[in-house]
Amino acid sequence: MPSVLPALRLILRGQLPRFAAAVLALLGASCLMYLAPLIWQVVLDGVLAPQGDAPAWIDAVVADAGGRAYLRDQLWLPAGLFVVMLAAAGLLTHLRGRLAARASEDAIAALRRRLYDHLQHLPVAYFDGAETGDLVQRCTADVERVRLFLESHVPEIGHALVMFAVPLPVMFLLDPTMTLVAVALVPPIVAFSVVFFVRTQPHFVAVDEAEGKLTATLQENLTGIRVVRAFARQAHERERFGRTNAVLRDATAGVFRLLAVYWSSSDILCVTQRGIVLGYGIVRVAEGTLGVGALLYFVTAVSLFVFPLRMMGRILADFGKTRVAIGRLGDVLDAPLESAPTSPAAPVAARGALVFDRVSFAYGDGPRALDEVSLEIPAGTTLAIVGASGSGKSTLVELLLRLRDPQSGTIRLDGVDLATIARKEVRRQITTVLQEPFLFSRSVIDNLRLGRPDASLDEVVATAQIARVHTAITGFAAGYDTAVGERGVTLSGGQRQRVALARALLRERAVLVLDDALSAVDTETEAQILAALEARRGRGTTILIAHRLTTVARADRIVVLEQGRVLEHGTHAELVAAGGRYARGWALQHHDPTPAAPLAAPSEAS
Amino acid sequence: MSESLDDVDDDARLPRRIDWGLWRRLLVHVRPHLRVVLGLVTCGIALAMIDIGFPLLTRTVIDAITASERPDVDAVRWVAWAWGGAVLAFGALIWALIVLAGRLASSVSHDLRRAGFARLQELSFSYFDRRPVGWLVSRLTSDCDRIANLLPWFSLDLVWGPSLALGIAVAMLTIDAKLALVVLLIVPPLVLVSLVFQRRMLQSSRLLRRANSRITASIGEAVMGVRTTKSFAREAAALEEFSGLVDESRMHALRNAIQGAVFLPIVSTLGAIGVGLALWQGGVRIDGDLSLGTLVAFMQFAALFHSPIEDVARRLADLQGAQAAAERVQGLLDTAPEIGDAPQVLDAIARAKADGGAVIDGGRRDIAEVEFRGVWFAYGDGPWVLRGVDLHAARGQTIALVGETGGGKTTVVSLLARFYEPTRGEILLDGVEQRARSLEWLQSSIGVVLQTPHLFSGTILENIRYGRDGATDDEVTAAARLAHADEFITRLPEGYTTAVGEGGARLSTGQRQLVALARAILADPQILILDEATSSVDTETEALIQAGIARVLAGRIAFVVAHRLSTIRAADRILVVDDGRIVESGTHDELVGRGGHYARLHRRNFATALA
Repeated sequence: MPSVLPALRLILRGQLPRFAAAVLALLGASCLMYLAPLIWQVVLDGVLAPQGDAPAWIDAVVADAGGRAYLRDQLWLPAGLFVVMLAAAGLLTHLRGRLAARASEDAIAALRRRLYDHLQHLPVAYFDGAETGDLVQRCTADVERVRLFLESHVPEIGHALVMFAVPLPVMFLLDPTMTLVAVALVPPIVAFSVVFFVRTQPHFVAVDEAEGKLTATLQENLTGIRVVRAFARQAHERERFGRTNAVLRDATAGVFRLLAVYWSSSDILCVTQRGIVLGYGIVRVAEGTLGVGALLYFVTAVSLFVFPLRMMGRILADFGKTRVAIGRLGDVLDAPLESAPTSPAAPVAARGALVFDRVSFAYGDGPRALDEVSLEIPAGTTLAIVGASGSGKSTLVELLLRLRDPQSGTIRLDGVDLATIARKEVRRQITTVLQEPFLFSRSVIDNLRLGRPDASLDEVVATAQIARVHTAITGFAAGYDTAVGERGVTLSGGQRQRVALARALLRERAVLVLDDALSAVDTETEAQILAALEARRGRGTTILIAHRLTTVARADRIVVLEQGRVLEHGTHAELVAAGGRYARGWALQHHDPTPAAPLAAPSEAS
Repeated sequence: MSESLDDVDDDARLPRRIDWGLWRRLLVHVRPHLRVVLGLVTCGIALAMIDIGFPLLTRTVIDAITASERPDVDAVRWVAWAWGGAVLAFGALIWALIVLAGRLASSVSHDLRRAGFARLQELSFSYFDRRPVGWLVSRLTSDCDRIANLLPWFSLDLVWGPSLALGIAVAMLTIDAKLALVVLLIVPPLVLVSLVFQRRMLQSSRLLRRANSRITASIGEAVMGVRTTKSFAREAAALEEFSGLVDESRMHALRNAIQGAVFLPIVSTLGAIGVGLALWQGGVRIDGDLSLGTLVAFMQFAALFHSPIEDVARRLADLQGAQAAAERVQGLLDTAPEIGDAPQVLDAIARAKADGGAVIDGGRRDIAEVEFRGVWFAYGDGPWVLRGVDLHAARGQTIALVGETGGGKTTVVSLLARFYEPTRGEILLDGVEQRARSLEWLQSSIGVVLQTPHLFSGTILENIRYGRDGATDDEVTAAARLAHADEFITRLPEGYTTAVGEGGARLSTGQRQLVALARAILADPQILILDEATSSVDTETEALIQAGIARVLAGRIAFVVAHRLSTIRAADRILVVDDGRIVESGTHDELVGRGGHYARLHRRNFATALA
């Protein structure tokens, strides 16, 4: 995974000094923690034990501290020093925790912002390929894994290593043979831990998978609960869920059984290590070559370093997952952003004249979704586009918004090639209502103000009235402050579309694109909305994409697309008279073999 | 039990006290695993005894070699054997308690999920209307896991902790009461600090979790709404909002980490004070009445004391933390379905089962006519959606429902399928009140195709077969052909075995509607309901469906809700629904001729086209 290291470096940028300081604090704390028990040794062997048995250095220390008799009377002194040293170690541990937390939290916050910013500037095509769920997973679960790594794994590994390394010289000075005995089981403990977790990794993965499967089954059942009821398939669903549920239970219990083997064996190993030290130490004490204090010191030291070491395996096994997570984040961050023109044309206040000049586009290696499409939409007119699904209507809109770029041909706004204008600038000139409009989970009014945060309440209400959604909104308990989305009320498809329309209209742009934007609105309401939109005629350009032919009949010009090509174009009357695809569709939707003669001449305001 | 969704945010608030009554009720799910719990409790007590044993063995051996000039070899040998035995017993206990805890946690969580899922399959739509799917999913996943994972460790630690603490105290008091009392001085501050900090850390970790779930939601929105964000060119504003969430999460994460970084040093310092006290007060008496072994044992006991106290405090905090989850799960299990079979119907089902009848409740199998009599309906406490609807439909008839959005068309068909029940009035099936028949019979007699059809992940074949389990491949293709889904399906590279993706995402809305239609056709229902079922299908395909569907509708009662007039015209009767009432009824020609609501609707449709 080549992108792991650069990605990790990017994540840690700027935080290394804090991590270094945390390591220093850790070293200090661990030195104090190992020095403190030496006090017991001095007291037990040098002060409390019968004179003459203690090593020379202890007698020297005791003499420096005021002599045996003095210390014996003032035992609170060494006891107090012991407490002070451990308190100081505690303070340093606290500092280490604080520094490491700050460093990793800041790194994670920066990573999150960077990811989000990057996501927003990725080309739309990226989201075709990436499953949205997977992408969200990367930005949340993978980030969480990196956080765990920085905030818990790195300090734990550091702790285990430092705690093991620091007492070694002290122990060695005290008694080399005892030291060897004290670390005898360390290699098997670490090896066992690593081998165990690496080999059992698949079982942990199996639990994760079983859990994911259960969630997916559940989610699907609940999303489709109406279908389940409509077909009375509850028993079938219970059985299906029962299966995944049992798989998860058995996988979880299985992992616990493995862990039981691990913890019990490694506990036995660790306690045995302590027992060996104690056993050998007793023999030495009995021989008179080791003080009780020194023995106690070794036993304490072993307890301090041996238990953290067995965490190594779990953490090292997790490294694999962390590496994958960092790699996947690196992939997202490496994905190329939308291209920007080298010298963007100056922002324009567009009048809205649009020209598509022999525009072709294909998704990936697929067939051409648009094939040499040429259109001219004079400023202030309405162009309607109809065609079967897959004929290229929505692709046309995406090209216009520069969500995608044509493979050949140009699109011009007021005579300027869109490719020379910054994407954001293009999007600032055009306001769109997409087929499946997305509302953010916040209040209705915040959704409406999305394109113009400073719009006054009166303006918002006026626009909502044009979009025929004002009554629906005031019908909610909290009116315009009603929250929509996951946490709020569920809007019907038609209401969502009308809110999206109002949101777009509030932006007041030269070009308005309605991409099948009223499909869920009933005909009567749609007619009212379209009539209200007539006010734009002459002021703004409108592109109207629809399935229902009644919706498009009033447009200045109508284009029929088929498999990426312009099949027919003209006014409604022209197309009906031409007797082609449009005329057939018209007759089908109205069941009239011949459409009635127009009541008045169609207005041709182009 | 509050029914509001306010408890979504409950995770952030910590209950002031533990609601033992609630936990007692959840214990019902533990009862089948009582032996496992007893095993855990036994392990806990035994483990505490062994934990106390190690310092005592240390004391014996040290005294054996230091008390007199000649070491007591027998005593040393005895201790060595005891030590080895204790180590093995310790390992065995650890093994047993993890296995038992795993079994308890996974079984209880499994049982809770099963009970919750079964309940969800019975609850009425009104329950789902008020709760997002994601919220419900969390009840059966994270909430159940939370409760189930808590139980084994709770029952273990609540036995182990006090046993160990008590055991240490008793051991010390027995050996040397005076020194014991001195060392025990550290217990009150340990208890206090543990209780306060565990609670605080729990609080901040919940706030962190909430902040993180907001971040997840925000990223989800950024991905799903990427077109909207781009087309409104509001990337900068969105980043700023997201940044606020990130700061919040960072703040809570830091607070939690720092609380931990304060708590642990305080506890270890208190432990050190205990050891220091033992060393000082015991050391003074070392030549007198106190042996070296006792002193060492006391120092070890003092160092050991914090862990049981810390654990019990943590478990109690966990219990408080999981209380909201427990309330929500118990609340779900306690919710009674608003719609279900009445006792008389259940009796009828039992009788029919005994008689071996073909129909589940022993009533008629088919439905020849349906009737609404003065049906009024409101969702919950909301305004009236239907105000006195009367309608009648007989086998072979197709009834079209037209009218404005929100007029009540969908409600009419939802009541017919008994997704909801009328607030007033009654619905009769062949003269029998709907509630007098079995719900399962009714719902398997009705086929519904909704505007936003839901497909299950799996193949197209599996999805169509969902309509009737056990249908042959030929029957499935025949149904698909009638729905005109066959054409697009066979054009797919993998045909009927094409995976449709989550929720059918890999198919277009129109294609999903066709598959859903085929599914309903395969179910061969007595009543077929098409609620805007072909709104996203292009006009030509719809014309083809219309032609084919005539055969499907023959011999059934059909209700069609549609916006497109061309869809409606084929109906035998058109009902115009407006503001919860049926304002007009008749054939297309009759209604156009009448010059009323429908004519206006129709004219407007046409006038728009001809302007």
